[in-house]
Amino acid sequence: MSDTADRSREEGEPRNEQGRDSKVSLAIEGVTKEFTEDDGSTVVAVDDMTLDVYDSEFIVFVGPSGCGKTTTLRTVAGLERPTRGEIRIDGDSVAGREPRERDVAMVFQNYALYPHKTVRENIAFPLVIRKFPDDVVEERVAETVELLGIGELLDRYPSDLSGGQQQRVALGRAIIRDPEVFLFDEPLSNLDAKLRIEMRTELNKLHDRVGKTSVYVTHDQAEAMTLADRVVVMNDGRIQQVDVPEVVYERPANRFVAGFIGEPPMNFFDAEIDHAEDGLRVRTDAFELVLSPSVAETVAERDGADIVEVGVRPEAFEAVAHVDTAVDESRLVEAHVTVIEPMGSHHDLTLRPVGAGDDESAEYTARVSKDTDAVEGERIRLAVDTEEVHLFDATGENVLA
Amino acid sequence: MDTRRYRRRQRVWDLLESRYVVHVVLFFAVLFIVGPLLWMLLTSLRTNAAVYDLTYLPSNPTLQAYHVALIERGFWRAVVNSVVISSVSTVVVMAIGTPAGYVFSRYRFRFDNLVFTFVLLTRLFPPIGLVTPYFRIMSVFGLVNTRVGIIIANVYLWLPLVIYIMRNFFITVPNALDEAARVDGCTKVQAFRHVVFPVVKPGFAAGTILTFLYSWREFLFAFTVSNDLSSMTIPVATYLFVGDTSVQWASMAAAAVVATIPSALVVLFFQRYIVTGLTGGGKG
Repeated sequence: MSDTADRSREEGEPRNEQGRDSKVSLAIEGVTKEFTEDDGSTVVAVDDMTLDVYDSEFIVFVGPSGCGKTTTLRTVAGLERPTRGEIRIDGDSVAGREPRERDVAMVFQNYALYPHKTVRENIAFPLVIRKFPDDVVEERVAETVELLGIGELLDRYPSDLSGGQQQRVALGRAIIRDPEVFLFDEPLSNLDAKLRIEMRTELNKLHDRVGKTSVYVTHDQAEAMTLADRVVVMNDGRIQQVDVPEVVYERPANRFVAGFIGEPPMNFFDAEIDHAEDGLRVRTDAFELVLSPSVAETVAERDGADIVEVGVRPEAFEAVAHVDTAVDESRLVEAHVTVIEPMGSHHDLTLRPVGAGDDESAEYTARVSKDTDAVEGERIRLAVDTEEVHLFDATGENVLA
Repeated sequence: MDTRRYRRRQRVWDLLESRYVVHVVLFFAVLFIVGPLLWMLLTSLRTNAAVYDLTYLPSNPTLQAYHVALIERGFWRAVVNSVVISSVSTVVVMAIGTPAGYVFSRYRFRFDNLVFTFVLLTRLFPPIGLVTPYFRIMSVFGLVNTRVGIIIANVYLWLPLVIYIMRNFFITVPNALDEAARVDGCTKVQAFRHVVFPVVKPGFAAGTILTFLYSWREFLFAFTVSNDLSSMTIPVATYLFVGDTSVQWASMAAAAVVATIPSALVVLFFQRYIVTGLTGGGKG
């Protein structure tokens, strides 16, 4: 799986224009972090991780809890020592250096504002502790609060602030130092849904203006997709894929990434493959599809690829009206509708294959237009976008990626 | 029918929870606590001879008992001893207990839980069992009848308590605060000094006040090592008024009043901190 990371580093183009040619700001080189449990056993939180983060790039680590993303971030910050491997910031190894000696700033999940200090003192603290002259501190505080629009809060205490305001103060305390690398540890997870989306947009704008190398940890894929120049998908302490958000979504490297990115998650079906004249015939318990000749070609190139599973995103389904006969039979699916969840802009359907009887485990989801006249308990006909089908081999690798 | 019974029961509870009932209960509680104190105050205003007069109020209020106690019997020296011993004990206990509590709240080290349990166990041990070895040790080091001897006892008695209280206060401070401070540019010690300690200042105040009050009223160990006024504390000196043949109630009451005043003042001014300290730092 580590070769996945290497491969996508060649393929994936960072979104920002400096991109590939710019210098490596943060290098994580073969970092492994092991923890010793109370009972003496060893848990590997991060397993031989290698990643280059380029100057002014916004990198987002995303993965389920316990996947090692936060541990990686804390190792970069110097709050954890790697068991093996090395971290370089701006070219220099920071092994053995204390957090204060690393030129990084960090925003914590619960903000970690100093409750006994005012907003002004909180923001100024990184400079004050470094004994910057008073006039410089004052000037930089003024600049920072203007950037964040929190000028009127300066003399308040953190406990008097709303979650969003506390979040901005925490950002201010990180920005004021102008560090080489920003580290964000799930900074939006304590906010309510509406505010989270607002702050997400604001973080995006802020990064456009400040333009600093940032490493951002989240379990929220929406944050990952919207903020990242490149997304790092992690699981079990290992990098599963590193690439721009579009590629992670459209060409997930393996079954884990495919299932993790996308909401509702991708449907997986055990599949049998036949090479037919008109393309690749995929047979599952739920449907039979014929994939385009180009897909068949790609599969043929991957000589001996043993496809065992097919993945279809809910949004790759499309309801077909009875009268519409223009749809090619080879990509039609028929199913029972068990649940309809109206989401406003569209409907999420829970479907059961026609032959599945009472077997709930065979159910899958489809996201269809809100105009679809689906009825719970009745049959529906759907067309599958065969360009959007993913094929996985026995090891979980995406054959088409 | 059920609803009627329910309503009747509700009326009983409404009555029990009413202001009047609450006030009656409070009245007796206050009487129970304040009664003896008032009696003590009234007794101290009599002469030793007039203690058994059959009046509630002293017929000729006088400060003679105070004069006898403080000046004639040299009780003022016990006051000085108490102030010195309690203050020094408090400073020593807080100076050791605060960093110790911090370490127990933050760092994992070999046998950390065992050490902490041991610290608490010393507090659970009945102090009376230690009186004899304590006296032996003090006499070996020539600390009998010295203030230092009593200070050592106070440190032994209250340090575990303070470590425990301070640890609980430090636990309420999220680790992320130390970490934020360290990323922001602090050494570990600076993070403690500039961020963590200021946040637990109320806890520190509570610990300080409790240690002072406990040291002030400590009797057993002070009684064990001091038999003259060069080191005797107020509680021990007060006990001196119990003679072989008679008890000088008025002088004893006067001494007790003197002993009570400082702690009463401390409690009055710092009760907020004392409550948080006794509840183990649930709220900082």
